[in-house]
Amino acid sequence: MARMLLAFSAAAIGVLALTVPQSSNLQTSVASVPPLSTVDRPQLYRLQTRYKNLAKQLSQLSPHQTYILVDTARNHLYVKRQGVVVLDAIASTGSGTILTKPGDGNGQWVFDTPRGEFVVQSKLTKPVWVKPDWAFLEEGLMVPRNPEDRVEQGVLGEYALGFGKGYFIHGTLYTRLLGKNVTHGCIRLNDDDLKSVYQLARVGTPIMIF
Amino acid sequence: MHLCALLTLLLPFAAPTWGADYNAFPDLGISDPASLQEASRVLEEELRLAARPQTYLLVDLVAHRIAIKARGVVLHQIPIVGWSGSASDQMANTFRLIARPPVVRPIIDPSSAVEREPIALADMPTQYRVTFTPPFNLEIVPAAGEDPIRWAWANVSDWWRQLGRWSSSLMAGHTSQNEPSLRITLSVEQARSLAWSMVDGMALVIRRPADQ
Repeated sequence: MARMLLAFSAAAIGVLALTVPQSSNLQTSVASVPPLSTVDRPQLYRLQTRYKNLAKQLSQLSPHQTYILVDTARNHLYVKRQGVVVLDAIASTGSGTILTKPGDGNGQWVFDTPRGEFVVQSKLTKPVWVKPDWAFLEEGLMVPRNPEDRVEQGVLGEYALGFGKGYFIHGTLYTRLLGKNVTHGCIRLNDDDLKSVYQLARVGTPIMIF
Repeated sequence: MHLCALLTLLLPFAAPTWGADYNAFPDLGISDPASLQEASRVLEEELRLAARPQTYLLVDLVAHRIAIKARGVVLHQIPIVGWSGSASDQMANTFRLIARPPVVRPIIDPSSAVEREPIALADMPTQYRVTFTPPFNLEIVPAAGEDPIRWAWANVSDWWRQLGRWSSSLMAGHTSQNEPSLRITLSVEQARSLAWSMVDGMALVIRRPADQ
């Protein structure tokens, strides 16, 4: 409303200035319009312009493409596009448990899903799990020397999306555990949601995890 | 004269528009210079944070909410039930969390057949005090109606700390400069949610009311 009033007043002044002869006293012709403050308004205008420019700069940093949002507290994964949720999936994220590394008093694995911003680095079909050392140690088993003994097929679902340091969004056989913090850091989805995420995301798609 | 008139006609179109895209704070009083200055200061801090791949916290004391953000996007919002603070003039800064609230993590014992329950949101504390650098203290307390015992204890602890500060000042013979501190009341669920979302080194920016 204030903006409309300002626009109307400015337009009225402009029109009158064009129609009144140059030798006339403008102040007499627009005596009914209160004079603009020469102290407050320019400063207010500068502050408003500065704020608007900063807000615009901030909005330009936000992802304008599809991005993935993971809520590890509530175990949900969202795919969003221009602020709109296009997929809302129940997930499983890191358990937060600790496993001590053998032979090293201070070393330990902490099974958290990492927080922050990442990007999809790889997209895999029919992924195969190459089990890391902790997968054997937490079961009380010896770590195999033969690399082939680490391979386990069919446990990660049909697709996997890697986002760095060995972390993936992948499927699971334990769908009854979806919605709980049970993983070793990866993000698990059911088959249908995993397929949707695989189709919606591409290499470079941002993943924001909190 | 004609140039002046032309510029005057163009002025409304050059005036800042307040479309939703460019209004980071919809509750902002656009005619209040102090509010505009504070909002702009916060945006400048936020621009530096949003330029890097990280999550950060925006404590908005005007809108009464804490936002977990990344790249300027709100990932999650936590409503603030109430707040109080001191040394607000020192809150115009970007603070970094020294350590997240402590939580007991289950330790896997390979020799045990008993499966340990994983950590969950319900394991998070509902009352905690975290410190930041540069020096800033944030205390989270649960709403009185939801956890009256912890709320009462938080008030007693706060009173005791204030008493300690006053007595120190009295003995020193001068008023010591207090570290900025903020005490925020949240619901039990949201207090846990905030504790869960905090990570060591997480940045925090505060938007203060213009009259503070």
